[in-house]
Amino acid sequence: MNEQITLLKKELSKAVIGQEAMIEGLLIGLLCDGHILVEGVPGLAKTTTINALSHALGLDSKRIQFTPDLLPSDIVGAQIYNPKDHSFSIKKGPLFTHLLLADEINRAPAKVQSALLEVMQERQVTIAEETFKLDRPFLVMATQNPIEQEGVYALPEAQLDRFMMKIVVHHNSEEEELEIMRKAASKDFEEVQAVLSIEELHALQVELDKIHIDEELERYIVQLIASTRDPARFGLESIAENIMFGASPRASIDLYKAAKAKAFLRGHDFVTPADIGYVIHDVLRHRIVLSYEARARGISADEIISTIIETLPIP
Amino acid sequence: MKNNLGSAYVRLLPFLLSFIILQAEDFTYTFNADNQNPYVKEAVVLTLDINQTNHDVVLLFNFSIAKSKDYTFQRLDIQETDSYHDAKIHYVYLIYPLTSGDINIAFNLLKKVTTDESVAYSFSGDRDNVKGLVTTDTHITLHPFQLKVKALPVGTTLVGDFKLTHAVKKHKAGPYEPLPFQVSIKGDGYPPLLDTLLPKDGNFTRFTEKPIVQSIAHMQGAQSTVTYPMALSHNKSFTLSPIVLKAFNPKTEKSYTLTVPLQHFDIEEADVNSLVDTIDAPALLREDWSWLKTLLSYLIVFGAGYLTALSWKWQKKNRSNNHNPLILKIQNCKDTKALLQVLMATGSKHFTPSIEKLEASLYANSKINFNKVKQEILEKIL
Repeated sequence: MNEQITLLKKELSKAVIGQEAMIEGLLIGLLCDGHILVEGVPGLAKTTTINALSHALGLDSKRIQFTPDLLPSDIVGAQIYNPKDHSFSIKKGPLFTHLLLADEINRAPAKVQSALLEVMQERQVTIAEETFKLDRPFLVMATQNPIEQEGVYALPEAQLDRFMMKIVVHHNSEEEELEIMRKAASKDFEEVQAVLSIEELHALQVELDKIHIDEELERYIVQLIASTRDPARFGLESIAENIMFGASPRASIDLYKAAKAKAFLRGHDFVTPADIGYVIHDVLRHRIVLSYEARARGISADEIISTIIETLPIP
Repeated sequence: MKNNLGSAYVRLLPFLLSFIILQAEDFTYTFNADNQNPYVKEAVVLTLDINQTNHDVVLLFNFSIAKSKDYTFQRLDIQETDSYHDAKIHYVYLIYPLTSGDINIAFNLLKKVTTDESVAYSFSGDRDNVKGLVTTDTHITLHPFQLKVKALPVGTTLVGDFKLTHAVKKHKAGPYEPLPFQVSIKGDGYPPLLDTLLPKDGNFTRFTEKPIVQSIAHMQGAQSTVTYPMALSHNKSFTLSPIVLKAFNPKTEKSYTLTVPLQHFDIEEADVNSLVDTIDAPALLREDWSWLKTLLSYLIVFGAGYLTALSWKWQKKNRSNNHNPLILKIQNCKDTKALLQVLMATGSKHFTPSIEKLEASLYANSKINFNKVKQEILEKIL
C-alpha cells in the first residue's frame, strides 16, 4: 500500500477507532472526486471522521445540520443588498469548503437537497447570475439515519445517483467501544496532524489514474451495471421483478473509479475482480430502485447485487 | 396340756377378746370376729351390732371399714330394723389380712340424730324444692380392731383348700400351630389369682389371656374357681416343665402342692416345599436377577434419551448447515473462480484473507489447495 495512504490511515486512527469501512469509503471518494452517503445511527463518529480527515489533509471542513426549515440559500449562499451603496454582494454559503458534512441530509426537504445537485456534479455554485468554481478537492459526506422515518424526506434518485458510494456504518465492536469509552473519559485522543498536502493528494490521484484495468474487467463492470437494467438478458430472471430501475451510467463510472481506487489502496497496480467485488455493494446499493414487490418481500438491494455477482461469470 | 386349766384359759382368751361390747352416747355397739389370730389371707368374719339405747330420738348410722394395704374386705350382709326409735343394725364383713403381725382394722361410723317430724317431711316438697332429711351428724371414734396375723409357710402361693385341674386338647400339632392349654383352680379360700402360672423356662411361644374368675363369698369364706386359658406354640417339639403350686390350708394348718405334670408336645416338622406359594410368589425362591433387568432397562432408557438428545443436536446442526445458503453455495463450488464469485457476493470483509488467496491463485499464478481454502471458509462460517 502507498506509504502516504498508510500514514493517512494511521493519523486518522488517532481520532477514529474502528469504522474502517467509512474511512476507506472517504478515501476512495477523496481519490476519485466522489461523494459519500453514510447511513448509520447517530453517534458513530461521522463528524469526527470528517474533521479528522480535514485536519490530516490540512483542508477546510464545514458541517451543515439539515433541518426541515433549511433553505437552499442557507447552504449555497445568497445575494445581499447593501443599502449604503445600493448594490448587491454575494454572501457565500457553507458549501464553499473542501470537505462538507451534510448531517442528516434527509431531514431537509427536496428543494434544499436539490441545491446540492449542481455543486456535487459540477463542483460549481451559481448564486444569482454568478457562478463560482469550488476549490478541489471537494467532497460531500452526507449522513442519514435509517431508523427515523418521521419527518424525513427521502432523497430523490437524481440526488442519490450523485453519491459515488453509500456506506452502511455499523456499531463498533465491543473491544473498540471499550477503547473509545476509555479514551473519551480520559480525553486521551491525540490531535490529528496534517500528513498530506493538497498537492500530494493530487499526486495520488494522478497515480491512481495509472492503475491498469483489463478490458475484460471493464466489460465485466458494464455487464454488472447493465444486468441491473435488464436482468433477464443476463440469466437473472429471478431478480427481474425486484428491480424497478437499474443503475445509471454514473454507476458504471463510479464502479470503475472505485475499483481502481480499491486496488490502489490495496497496493496493487492493476484491478482484479475482487476489487470490484469489494466496492460494488457500496456503489450500487443506493442506485438500484426496488420494485414494490421486492420491498414488500423485504428484499434488499444488497441481495440483488449479490445475486448478480454470483450469476455473472467473472473474467 | 389338755387337762391343764391354764391352757384352757389361754385358748378361751382370744374368744373372750373377740367379743367386745362397748357403750356410746345413745347406742351400744358390739364387734365380733370369728378368729382374731388368722393366717395371712385366711378369711375372718367380722360382725358389728348396733343397738339404740336412747329411744327419744331417731338414730341413723353410716358404717364402713377403712381401706388399708394390710387387709382387704368384703361386706357380706347388713340387717336393719324398721323402727326409728329402736334401731338395731347388724353388719357382716369378710376380711382377708394381707400382712403378718399385728394389724389394726379401722372403722368409720357416723351417727345421725334426727326427729320424727324431720323424717316425716324429709321427702316432701316439689321437684324443685325437695326438703332433705335434717340430721345432726356426729363422727363416732371407734377403737381399731386388732388381728394378730400369722405368717404363711415360705413359698406358699395359695391359701385355702383348692383342687387343680388342667386340660390339654392335643399334644401333637403342626409348626406354630396353637396348642390350647387350660388350668383351673377351684376351692375355698383366698381367690387363687396368680400373676404367672407358666414356668419361665422353655423358648416356646406363650399366649395367655386374663384369668376367668368366679368367686362367691359366704360366711365360711369364699368359694372360687379361677380358670387360666392359654395356648402354646413352637416350630419344634418341646416340653412344658411341671407346674407346682404350694398351697396352705389354714383350717388344717397343713401345706400341700397342686401340680400340673410335665407335658410334652410333638411338633411335626414343616415341609418347606409344601409351604412355598407357587402361585403368587414363585420367583422369590429362584435366583433373583430382576435387579439386572431393572438396571438394564434403566441403562437402555438413559441411553435412548442420551442418543435422542445427541441426534436432535446433530439434526439441528445439519439442518442449520443445510439451511445456510452460503454454506451450500460454497460446498457446490467446483473451481476457484466460482468460489471467489461466491465470496465476493457476500460483501463481507470477513472473507478478505480467503479472497486474497483465491485472487492470487487466479491472477498471480500462486498455488493454493482449493479444498483446504474451501474448508477454511466453511470453518469460519460454522
